[in-house]
Amino acid sequence: MMYFLLVIFSLNQDCDGQNMNELLLMKNINKAFFGVKVLKDVSFSLQHGEVHVILGENGAGKSTLIKILSGAYTLDSGEVFIEGEEIDMSSYNPEIASRMGISTIYQNFHLVPHLTVAENVSLSNFPRKNGMIDWKTVQNTAKSVLENINFTVDPNCPVKKLSVSQKQMLEIAIALSKNAKIIIMDEPTAAISKREIETLFQLINEIKKKSVGIIYISHKLEEIKVIGDTITVLRDGRNVGTVPVENADLNEIVSLMIGKEIKTIEKKRSHLPSEPMIEFQSFTIKGSFEDINLNVSKGEIAGLTGLIGAGKTELARAIFGVDRLDTGKIFYNGCEIIIRDPKEAIQHGIGYLPEDRDISGLCLNMPVKDNVSLVYLAKLKEMLFGIPTERALVKVYIDQLKIKTTGMYQQVKYLSGGNKQKVIFAKWLAAHCQFLVLDEPTIGIDVGAREEIYNLIFDYVKSGDRAVLFISSDISEVLSVTDRIFVMARGKLVAELDPHTTTKQEIMARSLNLK
Amino acid sequence: MMNQTGTDGNRPNRNVLSVIQDLYRQQSISMLFILIIMWIILSVLSPYFFTINNLFEITLQSAVIALIAAGESFVIFSGGIDLSVGSVFAFSAIVGGLALKFTGSVFLSIMASIGAGLFAGFCNGLSIIKLRIPPFVATLGMMGIARGLALILCNGVPIYGLPRSYMWIGQGRVAGIIPVPTIIVIILFTLMFFVLRNTRFGRFTYAIGSNTEATRLSGIKISSVILGIYMISGMFASIAAVIESARLGTMQPAAGNGYELLAIGSVFIGGASIFGGEGNIFASLIGALLVTTIRNGLNILGVSAFYQYVVNGLIIIFAVAADQIRRSR
Repeated sequence: MMYFLLVIFSLNQDCDGQNMNELLLMKNINKAFFGVKVLKDVSFSLQHGEVHVILGENGAGKSTLIKILSGAYTLDSGEVFIEGEEIDMSSYNPEIASRMGISTIYQNFHLVPHLTVAENVSLSNFPRKNGMIDWKTVQNTAKSVLENINFTVDPNCPVKKLSVSQKQMLEIAIALSKNAKIIIMDEPTAAISKREIETLFQLINEIKKKSVGIIYISHKLEEIKVIGDTITVLRDGRNVGTVPVENADLNEIVSLMIGKEIKTIEKKRSHLPSEPMIEFQSFTIKGSFEDINLNVSKGEIAGLTGLIGAGKTELARAIFGVDRLDTGKIFYNGCEIIIRDPKEAIQHGIGYLPEDRDISGLCLNMPVKDNVSLVYLAKLKEMLFGIPTERALVKVYIDQLKIKTTGMYQQVKYLSGGNKQKVIFAKWLAAHCQFLVLDEPTIGIDVGAREEIYNLIFDYVKSGDRAVLFISSDISEVLSVTDRIFVMARGKLVAELDPHTTTKQEIMARSLNLK
Repeated sequence: MMNQTGTDGNRPNRNVLSVIQDLYRQQSISMLFILIIMWIILSVLSPYFFTINNLFEITLQSAVIALIAAGESFVIFSGGIDLSVGSVFAFSAIVGGLALKFTGSVFLSIMASIGAGLFAGFCNGLSIIKLRIPPFVATLGMMGIARGLALILCNGVPIYGLPRSYMWIGQGRVAGIIPVPTIIVIILFTLMFFVLRNTRFGRFTYAIGSNTEATRLSGIKISSVILGIYMISGMFASIAAVIESARLGTMQPAAGNGYELLAIGSVFIGGASIFGGEGNIFASLIGALLVTTIRNGLNILGVSAFYQYVVNGLIIIFAVAADQIRRSR
């Protein structure tokens, strides 16, 4: 009896870690960036011939996890086993990862566009004869590699002439030719057509037979039903559930992704319906978004949410005149206006806080003063301006927005994220803008500073003659800050919701285009 | 120096290192010290150096480089570079010389020179904003074109026989002691200091250098600002050409060879960033004085002119290296 128990115990241990059937096992993975934990004790396993889907909201930790696996990031703690063998993660890097048979298919990331298909196949290991490249073997290798996945393409065609899906197929073929055991696909269907998706899925089914494991990241739930075997959901850096696809209920999955409804920010104001301020009609830029109709009323904070890649930023840039529209009309206070560049948008009193503050929002090595007054000066008619006037103006906004700085001559690059955002805000306030498009205004800003930014937005619209379009992929933020929520999915406006009656669940479901 | 005094007081926990860093940041100040030290060393080494004559020779010589550097400052503050200034210098000198020959009017000659400089700068700006050629390549092209045009226009023969009133610009003294070029430099630098500080054009010049995209998204028409910047650079090259022609009493199609190196070096020595967005025009003046002092010192010490090219090249490399080191700290 005792003996029997012991056997069970040891069997158990086997299953626990060194199970030989497991292709990949990641155990208790932890990772933090600048003190912020992005992965907390995440465990994840992959079987031979399995398509394992990883789901999660933006920032749940999906890409961090696969980047650890592909060697792009190092982990803080945790163990990784491949076919039961523990990997030394302290010296792990992308090169070792590819030698271990781990391949990541990014969108044509590994391909050299000016070389031919055949040259790309042999790129890392050109066959040589007498010190010269043996072109005959290059051709033959390419043919056999392409035949391996029944992919018909001219080996002498330059890669830049291939379509996105052909490039993807080529990458998969190359990965397989290098004896890949684990193939990671990050949103492989994001940029390809329906027919091409079918071809890709056929290929994935072929690969599975070769007992290769596939880690598949996608937001398209209906696809996952078709192609996936297992689903793992990540939320806030934790593995909150791993279920076989056949047992999975899509609504349950969405709940798993979002977690319990926690109201983080108390609703501080409520907006009464008033006359429309700005209206966008049938906004289209082919390939980015299509037929968007939305309006914002005076005194309103209109929310716009959706997953990354839904076309939110593209829409914001088009409203501000950065990118040209294919079609679309803007009505501002009842009159049609035309915006061809940011200068014209600003003339009409429209401002834009870009998503990437440091890259397109601020002149980092210039003083706070010069950044705050920039738009004001751009609108100024006179050639000359007085420094005392400028200083007085800047001082007003530093005080009003409580920008923490050692003085208005401090260079903006020394400020914290929240204060940088306030500087951009001040820039538009100083220019008396009436309508602001805020693209991810709290991204990379810590919780305390976020609250300040929200209050700033509330104060901005309080007078009732100004309005804000608040773009964010953080659903709880949109829910608590805005008066009306627009949801975008794959370039289309799919829903208009009332934050008082809707739930996180519903917004997520709409973003995923479930209903 | 506005920027630099600002960054000065913003370090809460000052320690020895940060004090050194702050001093490091104010490159123009340290360059001023180097300049003074160099003057002292040279006057010890050579009895000829610290004579009134030679000191005025330095301000005279540096006037030409300083004026080119003033124009180049606008370009470098905006994150660009103008390699054509040396050739535009010769081109505008020859155009002015021809105008003098045909009209006999000193005023028209100077206007023609300045017009030629503005035109060359306009072409530079146009190819940068319309043809989207990087400044380096656009002005490299202009460097060849302007030099070629200078040689073509005068058939390779220098123009002599300038009237006394023209030569006064380069050789005259006000109150019998202060050289006219020195006065021109002081006036123009002060003027440009206020252009950079108190005009929208000046502010946008820095903003474009600091972050072109953010500047564009702030509603500023980048193209017209860039056009203006390169026209100013061309204009200053031509003003410098007028002064040198007046000083030497001749217009040479081969003049200004290598001046771009000295002018760019002067701006970098003054502490401007190669990435743009920072810099002070008076710091460029200190840079020009330093570059000229080094040349003058080498002359007095009897070092061959051939070595001076090597020194000019080294100056640029060290000035930019100092900038990079300051940035990485």
